[in-house]
Amino acid sequence: MSSWLLQDELTKTRAFVFKNWIMTKRNVFTLFEILFWPFVAFLSVGFLTEFAALQPEMKAFILIGVIAMSAVQVCQLDVAYALLYDVWSKAVKHGFAAPVGIRHLLLGSLVVGILRGGSVFLLLVAASYVLFGFDFTLPGPLPMALFVLGLFLSAAMVGVFVCILVLMFGNRAEVAAWSLVSLMLLLCGVYYPVSVLPAWVRVLAEIIPLTYFLEYFRLFYGFPPIFSHVLLKGYVMVIVYLVIEVYAMKAALHRAKRTGLLLKLSE
Amino acid sequence: MNFAIEAKGLQKTFVSGWLRKRKKEALRGVDLSVPEGAFWGLLGPNGAGKTTLLSILSNLLIPEQGEVRVLGKDFRKNAMEICRRINVSSGHANFLWSLNVRENLEYYAMLYGLSGKTRQKRVEDLLDLFGLSDFARVRFDELSTGTKQKLSLAKSLVNDPALLLLDEPTVGLDPDVAHRIREAIQRLHREKGTTILMTTHNMKEAEALCEQVAFIKDGRIKALGKPKDLKSELRLGDTIVIAFSGPLHAESLQGLKGIYALQTSDSSCRILVDDLHERLPQILDFFIREKTFIHDLRIQESDLEDVFMAFTR
Repeated sequence: MSSWLLQDELTKTRAFVFKNWIMTKRNVFTLFEILFWPFVAFLSVGFLTEFAALQPEMKAFILIGVIAMSAVQVCQLDVAYALLYDVWSKAVKHGFAAPVGIRHLLLGSLVVGILRGGSVFLLLVAASYVLFGFDFTLPGPLPMALFVLGLFLSAAMVGVFVCILVLMFGNRAEVAAWSLVSLMLLLCGVYYPVSVLPAWVRVLAEIIPLTYFLEYFRLFYGFPPIFSHVLLKGYVMVIVYLVIEVYAMKAALHRAKRTGLLLKLSE
Repeated sequence: MNFAIEAKGLQKTFVSGWLRKRKKEALRGVDLSVPEGAFWGLLGPNGAGKTTLLSILSNLLIPEQGEVRVLGKDFRKNAMEICRRINVSSGHANFLWSLNVRENLEYYAMLYGLSGKTRQKRVEDLLDLFGLSDFARVRFDELSTGTKQKLSLAKSLVNDPALLLLDEPTVGLDPDVAHRIREAIQRLHREKGTTILMTTHNMKEAEALCEQVAFIKDGRIKALGKPKDLKSELRLGDTIVIAFSGPLHAESLQGLKGIYALQTSDSSCRILVDDLHERLPQILDFFIREKTFIHDLRIQESDLEDVFMAFTR
């Protein structure tokens, strides 16, 4: 790749970092997304584990799930916001009239997502240690890094899926930005192992990469995984999904140009 | 001749509704070839297909049928390359509400791949050009309509486009702001030779700015040409109303060249001529020869609005 092309790619990716970062700085709701909702969820569940006098490993099981979910939720929102900010501002057409690709949108917004999701993650890890005596760093830096990377890739996957839905169904699909993660909460074994799910629901859990990343990290807290090769499966799955999603988003964009939805999103 | 826009047989139908599908044919076979460096207008009533055509030309809509070549390239194969060299500005502009004027320009400049000092300079130049420097730190949602419109035009120039598509750039603006925006557009065309295709409802604006205009109605181009040629094609002409005293056989005027119609009474006549500037001296000569005293002379020049009315009737 020539240096000019690389510079061009970086600049366009940076545009999405720039947009999401400023929108984050200027809007109060984004602060709530980082500080309020994750802490409310974390503290509620944390105190519940205290009240239920759970064994330390059970407490770890649940807190890992809560912290992971909060990081995924905040990070995926940023990827979805890359399109939703334009939709809410009715400025979609200007963005898509420019010579940018899905990759720029995905990577740029993911950078801000990682910054915001990473902040939530670190804050909750610190709070879990201070308030509930839970040591998130027990598995060591490499497993932690692999786990967190898996979370962010899962978040990117959900965020792009929201973008695809918005490009297919318009504004009414924006609700997916908040509801998809709740669905994952139900399916991926955030508060309970997927083994307790009915068999047909477990099939759904098995096709979601987050299930495997949670299984992987809980391994270090004494919970043997139900599935084999969890880390490998999680990464292969999330990367394959992301590649498919990029093509699906291109197809959705093409369809939106064909049906006129892209213009409607700007009116 | 090189063409900036070559559209052939463009057809676009919008389908709405889930159970009961409703179809709206927006374009029904549009052919349009705009030469490089031209400034053309696209006129027509609401729902005629102007914005649809502009959206296809800016890669925001895909037609069902027809071919589009922009700057000599096909969108299906060279979309990114074309998008890099064109830009679009629309009336009722909307941009990211939380970003201020400078940030919006920076954001779009980045989307077009401008980096570092080049981007900074371009943004500063555009702020200066459109008198936006005082609003550089004002958020988009706090701007007046006129300033939003100026930002829209400034944004459309971030990539120094070879082809600029303007969709009603002065709609809803007060006359002063509209005038300044027109001047900026004209300057851009004059100094940089940018090809411009502009839709507008403002006939005076089209007449003042555009070298050629295309009338679109019901998804078809009904007429295309220079405003003056269209007027003569429709035999709209200009009207001269003369009040006079003294004996005159006004009917004799009928024998003069370029008279489309003549209405006379004892003391006045109403003459419809093909070209005011050519025919007025001849008519005045006639009155002098006839030794007839002219009390009053009024001129009603037909304009593009009359052409528009003729085509949309």
